[in-house]
Amino acid sequence: MRPGRAFLVTKRIFWSLRHDPRTIALMCFAPILAMCIFGIAFSGNIENVKVIVINRDQGAYVPASNMTIRISDLIIDNMDEKKLNIHHMTDENEAIGAVKDGKYSSIIIFPEDFSRSVVNASQGGGEQAVLRIRSDQSQVNVATEIVQTVTNAMLKTLGDRGMKTPVAMDVSDPIYGKGARFIDMFVPGIMGFVVFLLTTLLTLISFVGERTRGTLTRLFANGLTEGEIVTGYAIAFGMVGMVQVGILLTVAILLFDIMVVGNPLIAFLIATLLAVVSVSLGILLSSLAQRESQAIQFFPIIILPVFLLAGIFWPREAMPLWLRPFSYLIPVTYAVDALRSVLIRGWGLADIWVELLALVGFAAIFLTGAVYMLKFMRGR
Amino acid sequence: MKAIEVKGLSKSYGPIIAVSGLDLHVDEGEIFGLLGPNGCGKTTAIKMLLGLVRLDSGSAKVLGRRAGSKGSLENVGYMPQETALYEELTVKENLKLFAGINGLSGNEYRKREDEVLDLVNLGERRDSILSTLSGGQRHRVSLAVSMVHAPRLLFLDEPTVGVDPPLRANFWRTFRKMRDRGLTIIMTTHYMDEAVNCDLIAMMREGRIIAQGSPSDVMSRSKAGNLEDAFLKLSREEVKV
Repeated sequence: MRPGRAFLVTKRIFWSLRHDPRTIALMCFAPILAMCIFGIAFSGNIENVKVIVINRDQGAYVPASNMTIRISDLIIDNMDEKKLNIHHMTDENEAIGAVKDGKYSSIIIFPEDFSRSVVNASQGGGEQAVLRIRSDQSQVNVATEIVQTVTNAMLKTLGDRGMKTPVAMDVSDPIYGKGARFIDMFVPGIMGFVVFLLTTLLTLISFVGERTRGTLTRLFANGLTEGEIVTGYAIAFGMVGMVQVGILLTVAILLFDIMVVGNPLIAFLIATLLAVVSVSLGILLSSLAQRESQAIQFFPIIILPVFLLAGIFWPREAMPLWLRPFSYLIPVTYAVDALRSVLIRGWGLADIWVELLALVGFAAIFLTGAVYMLKFMRGR
Repeated sequence: MKAIEVKGLSKSYGPIIAVSGLDLHVDEGEIFGLLGPNGCGKTTAIKMLLGLVRLDSGSAKVLGRRAGSKGSLENVGYMPQETALYEELTVKENLKLFAGINGLSGNEYRKREDEVLDLVNLGERRDSILSTLSGGQRHRVSLAVSMVHAPRLLFLDEPTVGVDPPLRANFWRTFRKMRDRGLTIIMTTHYMDEAVNCDLIAMMREGRIIAQGSPSDVMSRSKAGNLEDAFLKLSREEVKV
């Protein structure tokens, strides 16, 4: 071992880097991006969750206050406003419809005898008061946070009034996802993530390879058009995306017994659309890399925002409000929402048309972009 | 019909002039050699004729059609400098892919497969994965792929670079055989010694043609014993002017 020669190898690597400002920029930018995204996404709590309150409570005479009060109102006042964005309704069916439409996450229902039951129970008689919460359990961690926030408000209210009697919370009748576990929410996210990640990266590497090997030039010289090349790639990886979803679903059902309420065929359609979006994104990104080693450096830039902003592992409600709009710029967000709605909520095509339309829109924009990028590169 | 009609073809990349005012006329059924040192604009000129590089000015017709148009590419074959094939596919799969792109039916392809593989003497290796072949064999596959759709005009970009002398001689035998069957070949090379095998040549220097004609014409006009000396003399005269 001659240290001088080893040092020469080190020097050579830095010489190469000096001639490759793009790599230096990526090496500096990727850690900054990773730290910022992780920091922002995980430093936040679940906030601004839209819930509906149906308050039928008729109130009760509270001897300690010497007046008739609605304890439910006090509990609602004590609910953390940052966490819950409360809307009041009176009709339960209308409220259920609003949750089914995806506009709200939960319904909190105070029954007519709520205050009376609390007062009676605290005086040692009568039945325990029951508060019903009907959630969309397809977002398990959001539903859990709602229950936690309501519980905290209840404990504070009753504690302030010296009422130690617990109130029963009935969460046995969710609107979606009865019996859903974290993994049931997690699996659709992983499906979207895997299809997006593998398809984008495979296309990116494969396309940079087409350029560096000269096969792309040869294809053009043989009369193949940019549109034909992009379409060929999109069909191939769309099919690969379907197979991937098939494998993921099979493994998830056989090994983890995940919840599949809706039609799995729709899940295949969503995966195919996402794969088409990912292929065209891969082709677009390939124009920024001159060789495979540069393409590999795009991995963190592709993975990190999707990993954290698309609602795969952590609900978007946990992101700071200013960051949430950015999640809608990521195609995977729509695919994950649609997959979750189909698999856990049992929604059909008519219910996820917005997400499908968004994916088709992304596909159209990226495909057109990929074709024009190829035309531009070809003529240079 | 003229295989190639080029007038005033020019291309620059920023301040670098790749091709400047190129005029070329090549008849069908000839082997035409574009000669010159590395970086003199030969490859750029070929790529312009294939529509792979946008022209800054001038006009180019290939087999009577606009260069790079769908109609012209249908009858053209192209063998790039590098192998430019799918290393993970077999010889046959590569051939089949490019035959399909050029619109050959299954039956037509089966006939052509034997013909082109015989021509490059690789019939035995048709089922081999390309990456398992030697450099010379890959070069021959590349030539076979460029001919699989029976083009009328073949562009060969430095087809003999990195090829050993026996294989080079073999290539020239193949080119002449194809020319005798009516194929037009436009090839670039910086090996002056082998360019004597061409019917016509054009010598290029810094993007411009400095001499054109048959190899013997160019040699006698420059009073040189071989094409290399002819090129050096013509280059010196250019510099003096």
